[in-house]
Amino acid sequence: MQKINKNVVLALLSLTSLVFLLFQLYYYKFYLSQKNGAVFSKVRGSQSGQDSTRWHVVRKFLGLISSHNIPVYLIDPLILGLVDKDIEQIRSSPDGPSPECKYFCAPRDFTTFALLDKTWKHEVGLFRTAEKMGFQWLKIINKDPRLDGMDDLSGIEIPLHYIFKLASHAIHLVIFYERSGNYLWHGPLRLKQHMDRKFVPFRKLHFGRYPGAYEKPELLLVSIDDLKVQIPKNPSSFLEEMSHSRFLECRYREARAFFQLYPDDASLDAVEFRKKAKSLLHLAALTLNNLGVKFWLSSGTCLGWYRQCNVIPHSKDVDLGVFIRDYKADIIPAFQKAGLPLKHKFGKVEDSLELSFQGEDDVKLDIFFFYEEDDHIWNGGTQAKSGKKFKYLFPKFTLCWTEFIELKVQVPCETLQYVEANYGPDWKVPVKTWDWKSSPSNVQYNGVWPVDEWDDVIQIY
Amino acid sequence: MDEWKPNPAVKPHKKRSWYLAWKYKLMNQRALRKLCQTGAVLFLLVTVIVNIKLILDTRKAAYEEEEESAQDYDDEMLNVEVPRHPVSNKKVLDVEVYSSRSKVYVAVDGTTVLEDEAREQGRGIHVIVLNQATGHVMAKRVFDTYSPHEDEAMVLFLNMVARGRILIFTIKDEGSFHLKDTAKNVLKSLGSQVAPFLSWRDMWTFVGKKGGEVYGEKHAKSPALSTWGDPVLLKTEVHLTSVEDAECHWPDTELNRRRKRFCSKVEGYGSVCSCKDPTPIEFNPDPLKDNKVFDVPVAVIAGNRPNYLYRMLRSLLSAQGVNPQMITVFIDGYYEEPMDVVELFGLSGIQHTPISIKNARVSQHYKASLTATFNLFPDAKFAVVLEEDLDISIDFFSFLSQSIHLLEEDESLYCISAWNDQGYEHTAEDPSLLYRVETMPGLGWVLRKTLYKDELEPKWPTPEKLWDWDMWMRMPEQRKGRECIIPDISRSYHFGIVGLNMNGYFHEAYFKKHKFNTVPNVQLKNVESLRKDAYETEIHRLLGEAEVLDHSKNPCEDSFVPDTEGRVYVMFIRMEQEADFTTWTQLAKCLHIWDLDVRGNHKGLWRLFRKKNHFLVVGVPASPYSSKKPSSVTPVYMEPPAKEEGAVAVPAVAAAEQT
Repeated sequence: MQKINKNVVLALLSLTSLVFLLFQLYYYKFYLSQKNGAVFSKVRGSQSGQDSTRWHVVRKFLGLISSHNIPVYLIDPLILGLVDKDIEQIRSSPDGPSPECKYFCAPRDFTTFALLDKTWKHEVGLFRTAEKMGFQWLKIINKDPRLDGMDDLSGIEIPLHYIFKLASHAIHLVIFYERSGNYLWHGPLRLKQHMDRKFVPFRKLHFGRYPGAYEKPELLLVSIDDLKVQIPKNPSSFLEEMSHSRFLECRYREARAFFQLYPDDASLDAVEFRKKAKSLLHLAALTLNNLGVKFWLSSGTCLGWYRQCNVIPHSKDVDLGVFIRDYKADIIPAFQKAGLPLKHKFGKVEDSLELSFQGEDDVKLDIFFFYEEDDHIWNGGTQAKSGKKFKYLFPKFTLCWTEFIELKVQVPCETLQYVEANYGPDWKVPVKTWDWKSSPSNVQYNGVWPVDEWDDVIQIY
Repeated sequence: MDEWKPNPAVKPHKKRSWYLAWKYKLMNQRALRKLCQTGAVLFLLVTVIVNIKLILDTRKAAYEEEEESAQDYDDEMLNVEVPRHPVSNKKVLDVEVYSSRSKVYVAVDGTTVLEDEAREQGRGIHVIVLNQATGHVMAKRVFDTYSPHEDEAMVLFLNMVARGRILIFTIKDEGSFHLKDTAKNVLKSLGSQVAPFLSWRDMWTFVGKKGGEVYGEKHAKSPALSTWGDPVLLKTEVHLTSVEDAECHWPDTELNRRRKRFCSKVEGYGSVCSCKDPTPIEFNPDPLKDNKVFDVPVAVIAGNRPNYLYRMLRSLLSAQGVNPQMITVFIDGYYEEPMDVVELFGLSGIQHTPISIKNARVSQHYKASLTATFNLFPDAKFAVVLEEDLDISIDFFSFLSQSIHLLEEDESLYCISAWNDQGYEHTAEDPSLLYRVETMPGLGWVLRKTLYKDELEPKWPTPEKLWDWDMWMRMPEQRKGRECIIPDISRSYHFGIVGLNMNGYFHEAYFKKHKFNTVPNVQLKNVESLRKDAYETEIHRLLGEAEVLDHSKNPCEDSFVPDTEGRVYVMFIRMEQEADFTTWTQLAKCLHIWDLDVRGNHKGLWRLFRKKNHFLVVGVPASPYSSKKPSSVTPVYMEPPAKEEGAVAVPAVAAAEQT
């Protein structure tokens, strides 16, 4: 009896395992057809280090675009990372045949390329050829942000991303647009309702979760894995840029609503002030960028951006924030050289540093230095006549790019928290009288500078 | 067990015996067997577990993926696909047409496609063209055949309509006074019985297929001169044809696809939709050598005058050195037909929600268009601004390419314009000659980005100010003493006769006889001498060599200028101070040039041509060039005619109009 039982168990188990085997086969087939085995990429990757499908697809794609004279360049972070390691060698032998497939054979679902919109005429012919070559393609369009800031224009939706799929590999083509402020912008990848969500595993794409802002890259034609392809001349700086490229669009709709409530000041004074503030901000950005000092719009300038996408005409100065770790002693001489003399310097590098430069006619440039703590970030203020110190607290934030009066600048990504910390919940209401010592909702009294330090920490010119 | 033998008689035991035999064999290696069994069980168990895990994993991955793509990559705006008008398989359209003194309407399948009961408007014959396969309205026109020449326009239009289209006619108020026999015959050839006998204040409706059947006609005679015919209402049915019959069979190319899309939607564009010999929609004009304006964006400002836009874009795309990629057409309002025209030519078009009314609406449209242009082309230092009612000269871009560096380098310049306000057939002569003028002509001009961004945009008139943008731009607060460069012979031609500040009479008087350059590749001379200081030297040289005309003669007479060619003459008129244009206005009037306001002056000097001679007019003593006047010469003074002046001055605003 016992023996027979064992045999029954044996038979049952074989049956179940057979069923599972069949099931597994079916499942595998199902995924292969639906997802190009995307789900199994890890398994496949560990099994074989080489995948020539990818290389072939990339080669076909490069053939396709070069036959239509479309100058794409490679921005795939994984490949650029590999390329960067061998950049000297690749630069020095632009034509040499490669002994092994090093870059385009690592099995991945995607290879990412970029295309500058203005270098392409949007010919329909490209897609027809692509289809003939066996590519399936998907186009992702959306509103043109360059017209977003304007009242009621319509008619233009622009392509932001293309995906070309062949066999189990896809090419992600990111379209870059030139925008006011001399930078490149790419859009977010958002699927419309009728789109095929399973076309490719979208969440694995390296570009498209957020819009991004980049400098115009210098390109280099190289031959890697026997494929001629353009890459950014300096891959490592491109990758560095990519890591903090997230872009925030100004809230144009809210700004319009704001101006409905509070009509814009169109007086000659306001126009003049805006013009001066704009040129001062442009000059400051140029100076700081040349020094390699990262900065962001702070205080009133940030509020102007966030609330009305413009300079607040009664604000009377331009405010920038800089992390104290980015402080450089050259900042003061550089501004002086740019024609902006130091007006005052409060605090010191270790504590509450703040610089003010004198712009054209009374327009002042304030640079506040921010100190990072474990759970907050703060900057300091000093009252010149009493030596009193103040502290302004902000929740932690990261930096995003945005466009402001024809300039690519950074702002805190968590802008609302930043603005609310500074101006309280009523930041939407314009206030004309503002006292920097008492009005901000995040101000804290922070003691008094010792009198013997005054000469150093309170310098007024 | 050794003695055991199978018993063949016991049938049900047969299987069992096989099993037992097998068991018996294995009995001998019990240990091995046990091992195998345990191994198998273990192996199978592992397989099952691995399989279950695998299934769970893939499920989870797939689920997560959907979840995430839903979070990150979904368009937040739910673009709910609105089902399009259900494609009706109906083969018959019900058409209702009404004609009366004060109201006309046309309804197709219960949808009103035309309704006009406005007072003092829409007089004449209304024509509607329907697609014979879909029943869509392809064109709507009204020809005021009470007035002269409108019947010719109607004949022209009817001839352009493709065969097979359905035509609907209805009269509002009066449509026969200037309906000539030619037009009546065309209507007759369409199958109308009544058309040849249409008379004063008759009411009439007619529905027919071009080159085919008549679906219905109704007519009400006017009983007396002072009264109108009774209103007529025609109800009829129209049979639709198949789509294939309504289309042409052009070769399948990208261009022809655009053409097909266009031609199935709209009518009245003539040979572009001809089945046999369609006119090209791509022009490939010669490129320019060293084209300095290839990357300059071109903004075409348009309203709802699609036929104008069509003509304008044709001439623009035929100009040498044009770069279609830089062209954007800005349409003021959500009009479909202008957009269809833009798409026909493969250009990009942007629609703009109308803001405010009349002149202010135009101003706001201009502002939005200019801002959008500089946003779309952030690299551009300039923008070319055109309007939909302009013909563009073949050497328009060549003209700009040769002169644009001046706008970049000379701060004292306000614009470059293709239009010479005083350049009429009889007053312009030299295509290679340029002037500096203190006025802003518009009508095809180049705007500097810094001027727009730093000065104009921030203080552009707000919607509630009913100002003309061009008048505003001409105001001293904006112009700040800067000048524009213009050619002697205009590089644009203003053909629009319908517009906000425009009518047929006005156009005939001031625009029709304007000279328009048709010579390609004109090499401009004296470009460098147009810089601020160089121009003064040039003027002094010119005045130095100029012969002083006989001031005792009447300057309005032709004999005032001798019958020579290629000479330079100068005359002096009275101009007490800078703003005293009394004599100039009278002179302009009798010379039949622009006299509605002052145009084309440079420091009290006007330059034009008379009888192929360069003809200079200096205002004395206001002009700094007055010193060139010989002491013996008395400046001409012409008195304005009393009164009526005021009445004429009103349309002065019309200037460089557009709608």
